[in-house]
Amino acid sequence: MVVSPGATVATDPETWVAARVGGALEAVFAAVAGIRADTAALLERVAAEGRRPASRDLAALRPGLHLRLRHGELVSGAGFVAAPGLLADVPAWLEWWQTGADGAVRPLLLDLDPGRSAYSDYTHWDWFALPRDTGRRAVAGPYVDYLCSDEYSLTLSQPVRSRGAFAGVAAADVYLRHFEAAVLPLLRGLPGPARLVNARGRVAASADPAHLAGSLTKGPDFGGVLATGRPGVYDGLRLVPCRGVPLVLVLAA
Amino acid sequence: MRQHETDAGARKAVFSPVDSRARVDAVVRRIGDAIELGLLADGEQLPGESELAGRLGVSTVTLREALMALRQQGLVTTRRGRGGGSFVSLPEVPADDRLKSRLRGWSTEELRDLGDHWAALSGAAARLAARRTEPADLEPLHRTAGELAVAGDAAARSRLYGRFHVELAAAAQSARLTREQVALQSEVGALLCLVLADDAYREEVAERHRSVVSAVQDGVRETAGTLAERCVSESTARLVAVRLAL
Repeated sequence: MVVSPGATVATDPETWVAARVGGALEAVFAAVAGIRADTAALLERVAAEGRRPASRDLAALRPGLHLRLRHGELVSGAGFVAAPGLLADVPAWLEWWQTGADGAVRPLLLDLDPGRSAYSDYTHWDWFALPRDTGRRAVAGPYVDYLCSDEYSLTLSQPVRSRGAFAGVAAADVYLRHFEAAVLPLLRGLPGPARLVNARGRVAASADPAHLAGSLTKGPDFGGVLATGRPGVYDGLRLVPCRGVPLVLVLAA
Repeated sequence: MRQHETDAGARKAVFSPVDSRARVDAVVRRIGDAIELGLLADGEQLPGESELAGRLGVSTVTLREALMALRQQGLVTTRRGRGGGSFVSLPEVPADDRLKSRLRGWSTEELRDLGDHWAALSGAAARLAARRTEPADLEPLHRTAGELAVAGDAAARSRLYGRFHVELAAAAQSARLTREQVALQSEVGALLCLVLADDAYREEVAERHRSVVSAVQDGVRETAGTLAERCVSESTARLVAVRLAL
């Protein structure tokens, strides 16, 4: 669902900006869809051999993950997070890779032993629970990701199914500072102060010094605006949904 | 891959450079806490002396003194020759006694300062969170307070206590406060076992945590901040009392 920017530029600048923001995240979702496809194909191959997958099988995903980390402009972490019980040898697993400050791609090694780590259960995080519960792709955050990166992040994820059952999620991390760098030129090009908020009203990027990233915009029903996909107005604010992704462009009307 | 044996973030902190005033004590405390918290497993081989000294940012002389102290505490054994090196070994003495000998490495002034730092972090986080959270952000905090109320052993209680304050910093939407809180918990976590073994105090902390969450939820900033500060100051005061009784 990539919206061609040229097609809408004639309508109005905020619709054009919302479409461009959607396009930037669509590129990340394309990477997530690739990880999902790789994982589903891998799980199908293993199932065809008549056995349950094991953690070592997931090593086959690494070339694809490294490729997406190197070429995905906004992607700083990527991988497959297994549903507990999917793998034969371990109760839980993240096949997760991250680009470090030095540009090197490294695996995330977590202690998933509940007897030693208070952070072993990852099934409550939005990036896991939302795709599992809705069956649809999701954008989690902005949130402080103290599990994987210690960064203020957005995580884009999509459910992976194997032979009809939920097998886990394919996901990619976008650090908020990189997202801001990508969308700020667009927001600053608008005539008035503008910001992007998620379905719960949390600001994800802003060119409005009075409403910075991480703050809440209370009042408007952003979820409703996203559900209808149509622009709305609330108490002097103009609300424009970003097509295809759960972010709303907010401007002074 | 050793996903089950390691906690990458916490282990990274174990082997990152201690500050320039690094002394033997700091190295002993860092490695000892990591062993007590299970970040370094019984029987695990430590990196070689020069590598370990490099990663901790101390001289090999300092490291050797620290290893000697750890050997005396029974937390490390050293074998010579092929396949030799330094290995983690959990002594047979009860965990409580080991923790008390760790606490002896802290002066009351250092504990007071640790408590001040912790109160500053958690108080600021609670105030920011009161302004920046909506109900879904508080679910992790509710869950952790609930788990603490039923957690059995002191180590599990201390992990949940720490997780609550990390989640509070995350609810404040601050990556910096969260990172500092994670680092602080890696220092204070093992010691907290000493005060959380008491069931009555476990109840009290769980109740204090619930009242912090309520204040954050109601958006009453000052109350949330004050309650969070009181919670951690009280725990530090208890640690100081245990220290003075040693």
